[in-house]
Amino acid sequence: MKVRTRNPDGDKIEMQMSSMIDVVFQLLIFFMLTLKIIEPEGDFDINMPLGTPAAASVTDADLPPFKVRMEADANGNLAMLYFNGNPMGNDGQEFQRLNREIFLAVDSLKAIGPSNVDKQEVEIEPDYRLHYRYIIAAISACSGKMEGGQMTRYISRIKFAPINDQR
Amino acid sequence: MKIKSSGSKAPDVDMTPMIDIVFQLIAFFMVITNFEQQQADERVTLPKDQLAKPPVVKRENALTLNLGFEKDKEGEIIDPTPYIFFGDEKTTVEQSLTRLKQESQFYQTIGTDLADVTVEIRADAGVQSGLVQELIQKCQEEGVGFQRFALKATQKVQ
Repeated sequence: MKVRTRNPDGDKIEMQMSSMIDVVFQLLIFFMLTLKIIEPEGDFDINMPLGTPAAASVTDADLPPFKVRMEADANGNLAMLYFNGNPMGNDGQEFQRLNREIFLAVDSLKAIGPSNVDKQEVEIEPDYRLHYRYIIAAISACSGKMEGGQMTRYISRIKFAPINDQR
Repeated sequence: MKIKSSGSKAPDVDMTPMIDIVFQLIAFFMVITNFEQQQADERVTLPKDQLAKPPVVKRENALTLNLGFEKDKEGEIIDPTPYIFFGDEKTTVEQSLTRLKQESQFYQTIGTDLADVTVEIRADAGVQSGLVQELIQKCQEEGVGFQRFALKATQKVQ
């Protein structure tokens, strides 16, 4: 076996660094270029009944769903928000009001029996042309509330009503 | 004044700190580079919401559908018709059934139960909500058969 002997003069052996630095810079540039700054994304589960949504769906919920109706103006913006038929307005505070109403409704459900809250559904019925951002705002208002970085969950079963085909 | 004499020998530059920094940078970029969210399409501007939290357990089977508008470089909408984007391909919601059937077929071929597949819908904030409902309905149709759905939103920091 060949055994490497130390440099007889005791000098340090010079390492060729240039090729490594080349590769390292290549890597650096690759990672810098592929970097895409993406904001963190979350999602809301939608509990759509099986089969055609137009048909009356049979679920294990004994209670009638809470109905959130959203009317749109000609441009697709929110014209009026209703919770179980009661108008919530459209002055910028409507989703806070909806959130409050849901909280009160969930609270009264809990008084009857805590298991009812898990079974309770919310049915969202938007106008066809309503912008999607309002759907997310309504789902969020029904899902819960953020307080001090902690989420209080209200209702997790959210579904859509049949399509309102008035374009 | 002392003047440096230029010797014939090149001065030795200590490369160690530079290499240290460069390695630090590489490690930083490697850690923050996210290769998983490649399915996210830049043409879709998601609505923002503070309750939108990423799922605690990562979904094993998720089909992402990007529904948005064709935009120019400034982000202005150039075509008012919303499309579903599959990479370079695009299709309208009305004509998406064939593609959805292919996706469903793919999951069935690899032996995945469709009940375990979540369809993640990334829809632009300005898309008509009726279209999103139509898309969900198409995903449930005979021959497609997806059952679980999730609507995506960007997490708004308080």
